[in-house]
Amino acid sequence: MFYRAAGIRHTRYESDRRLWRLPFDRWLVGLVLLLLLAAPFVVNSLYLGTYMLPWLVWATATLGLNLLMGGAGQVHLGYGAVMAIGAYGSVHLARAGLPFELVLLAAGFLSAAIGVVFGAAALRVKGLYLAISTLAMQYLVDFVIIHVPAISGGTQATLQVPKITFFGMRVVSDIDNYYLALFVCALVTLFMLNVRRSSFGRALAAVREKDYAAEIIGVSTFRYKLLAFWVSSFIGGVVGCLFAFCYYKAVTPEQFHLELSIQLLAAVIVGGLGSVLGSFFGAALILLAPVILNNAIGAVSRAFSLNVSADIAAHAPLMLYGALIVGFLLFEPLGLAKIYNNVRNYFVVWPFRHARK
Amino acid sequence: MKFNLRQCMAAGVMAALASFSSTGMAQEKVVKFGFPQDFTVVYTFVTAEYSQGQRDYLSLVNERGGIRGYKFSAEIVDHGSSVPRGIEAYERFKREGVVLIDPLSTPVARALVPRAMADKMNLIMAYSGRSDAADGSAFPYVMPLSTNYWSQAASLIEYISRQEKNDLKGKRIAFVYIDSGYGREPLPVLQELAKRKGFELQAFPYTSPGNDQSAAWSNVRRFKPDWSIIWGAGAGQVVSIKEAVRNGIPTDRIASVAWLSESEMNVVGNDAAKGILKMEVVAGGREPKVIADIMKEVVGRGKGAGKNEIVGTTYYNMGVAMATLMVEGVRLALEKNPNAAPTAESVNEGLRSITKFTAEGLLPAVTISKTDHQGGGQSRVAQWDGKRWVARSDWFAADQDIVWQLIKASSEEFKKTGK
Repeated sequence: MFYRAAGIRHTRYESDRRLWRLPFDRWLVGLVLLLLLAAPFVVNSLYLGTYMLPWLVWATATLGLNLLMGGAGQVHLGYGAVMAIGAYGSVHLARAGLPFELVLLAAGFLSAAIGVVFGAAALRVKGLYLAISTLAMQYLVDFVIIHVPAISGGTQATLQVPKITFFGMRVVSDIDNYYLALFVCALVTLFMLNVRRSSFGRALAAVREKDYAAEIIGVSTFRYKLLAFWVSSFIGGVVGCLFAFCYYKAVTPEQFHLELSIQLLAAVIVGGLGSVLGSFFGAALILLAPVILNNAIGAVSRAFSLNVSADIAAHAPLMLYGALIVGFLLFEPLGLAKIYNNVRNYFVVWPFRHARK
Repeated sequence: MKFNLRQCMAAGVMAALASFSSTGMAQEKVVKFGFPQDFTVVYTFVTAEYSQGQRDYLSLVNERGGIRGYKFSAEIVDHGSSVPRGIEAYERFKREGVVLIDPLSTPVARALVPRAMADKMNLIMAYSGRSDAADGSAFPYVMPLSTNYWSQAASLIEYISRQEKNDLKGKRIAFVYIDSGYGREPLPVLQELAKRKGFELQAFPYTSPGNDQSAAWSNVRRFKPDWSIIWGAGAGQVVSIKEAVRNGIPTDRIASVAWLSESEMNVVGNDAAKGILKMEVVAGGREPKVIADIMKEVVGRGKGAGKNEIVGTTYYNMGVAMATLMVEGVRLALEKNPNAAPTAESVNEGLRSITKFTAEGLLPAVTISKTDHQGGGQSRVAQWDGKRWVARSDWFAADQDIVWQLIKASSEEFKKTGK
């Protein structure tokens, strides 16, 4: 009823290959996009600057990692380091006077150049072994940043981010930062949605399923594994730049430690490997659930005047958070995107369940 | 008597409404402090005790009727040392009208600096964060209010020098530190002092978080140091002391940064490391008058914020000391504008006019000014006697010229690029 699939016939290839084949989906996407665009005027500035903005940035990072993990089947435990390269590179370049539009791209190229070197490990090792070699990247990059004051910014190891303009517009307030993040996020999302329909995306899928089988059917695994790392690291570098300029505004090494890599890995897995929508869900759950649970438990204990000790008040949200992740994965191992898909599939034919294929 | 679900729900809703309306009715004049801190991830070794001290002191002030009719409330939330959560808490508290924010976490504090400076919100950077924030002219709204690591390192060397009759020529000093920004921070001070005083300095880093330091300490043993300085935090400190003892380094020749408390000594074993020295930036024990008053008027009346045995321990007293400085800042703000409710800006004025404040013996005489946010850089040395920390010196500051040279160099850099 809602989706009204009846009577919609795709008689041309273009219409059959559209991203969203049902009008309802298109309306839904349009509505979400409209809401995102209108958010600064609707949403309280607290939620815009500390929930929506970081969520968009994290989701973009998750998309980049998802291309590698879900798209090409290569594990990466050092994505935080990739972003660190982008963040540090961009701040230094911006300080040197490069305009921000170029800084954004340069951050991507820099991360891609270094990321692809570590990606070369993927040519030799697979699975857990690849996880460990990318983990080495994380520690190497951390080490270099901490030990080279010219990169990390002297004894205090903090780099303040210079003010920027983007195509002539000054980026100052949370609203400006939000739109900038939304713009980059939209570009990356569009790329991710379309990459699966391109020969590049299909080659990655072939490599993911079985790399020597891909080689046999004429897909160069050497080329596509490296390309996968290159593209994913490029996105990582661009997002690292966003982290620095739109959100943190001061770059320190701790921001890009292993915790970030693990968070993003968790976001990919909880959201759904290879799913674009899942990346947004996963980032939301991993990033925002601890904050929301913390505030909710605080509000409940205040409302009921419970005398909860600070220790329990701090640890209870963590337990709930863990339970939430385990719960979602038990309920649907394929991730949050699959849960959404199940709901959608139910409503596509509702109320005529027998019509479901 | 049986209740059904509906009755239980109704009772719950009534209770919630009742508590909402009661908080709504009590229209008191309140000054809010924002304490988003790390109770769960990195700073667990200090936060619970520190926070308990802060809350107990605020309870003491409130029990006594507050300051000019204003009561204090502590807004507490866990940020787990995660920057996004810290930023969220900061922004939330800012909108709730707090006059200052104390994140007690170096990564979070560093990331909040640009926001605090832009919003004119007092960012307390006690015992952590950027040492160069001592330069109040570059960081008007960033408030360390405490003796920074550079000053602590300088004072440690001064104390060692006094023990060696002011002659450190040819002495060997080992510096064993966690390989992070925090651990490396005192190195420039130590290197400069080694040049000036002619001692031989060797640095021995161990990797974070410091659960395994055996390699570093066997090198220390080979170096045969006259003195060893340990610079870590939490579990890393415990491992340092255990390894030092295992390698036969005399405990009364080991001196630590301020991050060493009773709880860590309990883990090492109370008698295992008798004689070990540490910097003290706040007086320990229950003897200082403020702590005795808290025992009597807050804990004694069952209003303590946590376990009674914590009262008077190192980190607890650091929390109390920081709260006394904050309240003193508010007091001075109200003295200047008695009719206006304290705001972040007026409290900033207040904090920056604290003069020779000792919190009745809990602190060295602290003077904060528009140029000096460190407050003089004084500390003292305390020794573990198997049960407690005993002060071994008076409050003193040493070689502040080197410290300020470093502060200025770093804050100039900030001024240049922080725009």
